[in-house]
Amino acid sequence: MKYTFKGGIHPYEGKELTMDKEIAEYLPKGDMVYPVSQHIGAPAKPVVKKGDKVLAGQLIAEAGGFVSANIHSSVSGTVKAIEARLTASGSKVSSIIIENDNKYESVEFTPISKPVSELERDEILDAVKAAGVVGMGGAGFPTNVKLSPKNADEIDRIIVNASECEPYLTSDYRRLMEQPEKIIEGLRIALRLFKGSKGIIAVEDNKPEAIKLLREKLGEDSDITVHSMKTKYPEGAERQLIYANTGRYINSKMLPADVGCIVHNVDTIYSIYEAVREGKPLITRIVTVSGDAIENPCNLKVRTGTSYAELVEAAGGFKGTPAKIISGGPMMGKAIYSLDLPVTKSSSAILCLSRDEASEYEPSACIRCGRCVSVCPGRVMPNQLARLANAGDMDAFIKNNGMECCECGCCSYICPAKRPLTQVIAGTRKLVLANKKK
Amino acid sequence: MDGLNLKISSSPHVRSKDTTSDLMFDVIVALIPATVFGIYKFGAHAGLLVAVCMLSAMLSELIYEKLVRKTVTVKDCSAILTGLLLALNLPPELPVWMAVIGSVFAIIVVKQLFGGLGQNFMNPALGARCFLLLSFSKQMTQFVYDGVTTATPLAVMKAGAQPDMDIVSYMFKGDIGGTIGETSVIALLIGAAYLLIKRVISPKIPLTYIGTFAACIAIYAAVKDYNVSEYTLAHLCGGGLMLGAWFMATDYVTSPITPWGKIIFGVMLGLLTFVLRIFGSGAEGVSYAIIISNLFVPLIERVTAPKAFGAGADVKPDAGKITGDEQKNINKKTDKLYASDININKTDKNDENGKVHAKFDVKGIVKAVVVIFVITLVMGAALGAVYDITKKPISDAALKAKEEAYKEIYPDAASIVSIEEQSESITNKFLNDTLHAAGYKDNTIDEFNLVTDKDGRLIGTIVVVTNKNGYGGDIQLAVGISLAENKITGISFLTLNETVGLGMKANEAEFKEQFKDAPFGEISYTKTGSDSANVIDAISGATITTSAVTDGVNSAVAITGLILGGGSVNE
Repeated sequence: MKYTFKGGIHPYEGKELTMDKEIAEYLPKGDMVYPVSQHIGAPAKPVVKKGDKVLAGQLIAEAGGFVSANIHSSVSGTVKAIEARLTASGSKVSSIIIENDNKYESVEFTPISKPVSELERDEILDAVKAAGVVGMGGAGFPTNVKLSPKNADEIDRIIVNASECEPYLTSDYRRLMEQPEKIIEGLRIALRLFKGSKGIIAVEDNKPEAIKLLREKLGEDSDITVHSMKTKYPEGAERQLIYANTGRYINSKMLPADVGCIVHNVDTIYSIYEAVREGKPLITRIVTVSGDAIENPCNLKVRTGTSYAELVEAAGGFKGTPAKIISGGPMMGKAIYSLDLPVTKSSSAILCLSRDEASEYEPSACIRCGRCVSVCPGRVMPNQLARLANAGDMDAFIKNNGMECCECGCCSYICPAKRPLTQVIAGTRKLVLANKKK
Repeated sequence: MDGLNLKISSSPHVRSKDTTSDLMFDVIVALIPATVFGIYKFGAHAGLLVAVCMLSAMLSELIYEKLVRKTVTVKDCSAILTGLLLALNLPPELPVWMAVIGSVFAIIVVKQLFGGLGQNFMNPALGARCFLLLSFSKQMTQFVYDGVTTATPLAVMKAGAQPDMDIVSYMFKGDIGGTIGETSVIALLIGAAYLLIKRVISPKIPLTYIGTFAACIAIYAAVKDYNVSEYTLAHLCGGGLMLGAWFMATDYVTSPITPWGKIIFGVMLGLLTFVLRIFGSGAEGVSYAIIISNLFVPLIERVTAPKAFGAGADVKPDAGKITGDEQKNINKKTDKLYASDININKTDKNDENGKVHAKFDVKGIVKAVVVIFVITLVMGAALGAVYDITKKPISDAALKAKEEAYKEIYPDAASIVSIEEQSESITNKFLNDTLHAAGYKDNTIDEFNLVTDKDGRLIGTIVVVTNKNGYGGDIQLAVGISLAENKITGISFLTLNETVGLGMKANEAEFKEQFKDAPFGEISYTKTGSDSANVIDAISGATITTSAVTDGVNSAVAITGLILGGGSVNE
């Protein structure tokens, strides 16, 4: 195995800001906002109405289809309204607003305490589904769906994506350092679903302590191995991760299951553990609040629905004036213009930067240096795709593998002429996909 | 949290520090050793040329962009780099105004007229160099070193000389004549190392270029029974190969982006340089090889476009796990999922083992070859047409030149008539048969003219003879012979393709004057200083040329004697 892939970049990591900060629990004060669509698939259907009293952990919206997920209240309080609210994605989404009574009264959870070897397949899937677990790395794909592929008997690898290749983010790392046993247990539960499958925990080699700790905790376990991956962005991109850990290739038309793999984020595995062993729904997650415009960068254990503004305050507020605030990492995260946004199941970080490098440079002519081609993990030619995209030539764009782009941002990052390659290519990809749906 | 003035943009939100001007600046820095060395070796005029080229390149860009109201891009350092590269490719004694013309041509014609930075299809500095070579070939091929005009080592080698390790070490250090920036291999390699360490260039092109070229030269040397290592090393160190391979062939804009493309480009450069140097008329070849290869870059890129990550994986059974119908189902499913009618990489065909074949797009390559063939055909036809159109004016000019040459070698002539007009029996074939029978087998009589004075009396002949033994092929010369005084009145060259600085010295008065007034009889040459009117001094380093010219003159005298009976026809 190579533990790496061809291409990729080495941006400033910024992880030292929060790497050694232990996870601190943050209890929200203000109103909680729960968008009914914080996952891929159909929006959840609210099961509460205005005025209802709810407890922490109580179901407030149920899955609206096969590919959908339950949503639970993370606090106790009263439903104040169901209305459209701005989310980090930039669009307004119907949301359940709950007035927090600050008592944190919780519903009774029913854990399953049988040994892993006695767990039934349906038991696990039902617990995961009920808990509303979704992919917490960013995409938010419902985990129970991912765990029940059509070719279940062909799955032989479950890869835990702990590479955390996005700069600044340390939430997964803290999880590994503070709760390694629970991650391992969560993975064992997932492995139970696929007979004979092996687990891989993929960690970038810039986190040697986490690798050491996990290996210690695993001891003689031969079903799970910890892979030390070469530190490089985007090591954690699904396709590249699968290749680096198994040597198998998939392209944009395929799913990991097509090559016998399932990939989960660390926090997702942790949520599987909680769903099964504690009976707890997904109502908390770790959020890294960092950047050079934050007074006290930190890792917070946050209840979903909490406002971004509260988290910034919890981190000591701004240091100087932030020029840009990003929901997520600097490579693929979204720039936000307001902090009045709720933490969702897939919010990994709030990043406040005092400089906006993207707008500091004026794009100039392409000098054909080829750096975008050499860093592209998808092995396409971004310069050529951007030219075709600008020309509006969608046929040629598709023919030249435009749809194989994963929008990781390496090309824009590396471009010496500072051309917005990713932006242009991503825009055209969306157009192509939209045209297909018609 | 009100009052925040936040910037919104699409991801990614961070950028690498390198900018276009940083990259250009790095190349300029990398050229400093070669530039400083060139100025130190060749003197102030070389320094002046460097400064003038850089300045005029910048000004051309500035003025052009102002005039056409484009964004002024002088700050990106690319124009100044073009100027510097051009200067390093110029002979140190070139007149300043020619350098200015070169810079303006590079920036305006090669770069800006094609759309500016990133759009030119040919390296601007080399485009300009070749333009200057065609326009001012004499000045562009005159290399002064230590105050005297010298031949470059490659020219000497082309003339048949064999290099030894001393010459190679001079070339490595740069103790030779040449263009301002090409002579010192060591200075160039220091710069190349800097570019590699800073990762400004990839070593693919230079290494495949130099490797291919070295292999070809080594094989050639072995076939020719030369000393392989010394001959190859001298070729590697000379003729701007290092400057071209590390600094010109790696020009981003005009070299392929794709990894395989770079390798093909390098191999192509190596082969072309070899062919141009060994079989072409010039001794150098690097500049032409690069600009010719530049033209093929779009084609090379097209056939070497990388395969996308996982291309073909959806039709490849994974290590026997998923096969046959299951695979088809997966494909159908995934196709449906993405509602895809996209045909990604249709050219990848799988064999039974599921191995993906065809590194390159074979159909594309065949197509490319056909296209290149057609282009060559069209270009050949165009050249033929140009030749036809220009034939008449060129032959007129040649005639005029001939008349002037005759006047020069036989000032007393009142009229010159071909013997064929006087006597039907004396044909050109008869003349040549006679000459060859007399032993002058390597010469061909082209013209046999009778010279009369103003009273109509026959006073001598002007014989135009071609000797095939010149170093650069045929040497055609006119020889004036006085029958009245039994001596040669002068010689003049009509065709002379000898080595610059060596054989070409035959055309200098110092050499030609030796034949003037030489009495009848076999003329010979010596390398040690002549003490007789019938013995001339050979051109040093060009014995072959001297021998050919002497043989030609002797044959002219001989045919005159054979046809007109030597001095006996005087009365």
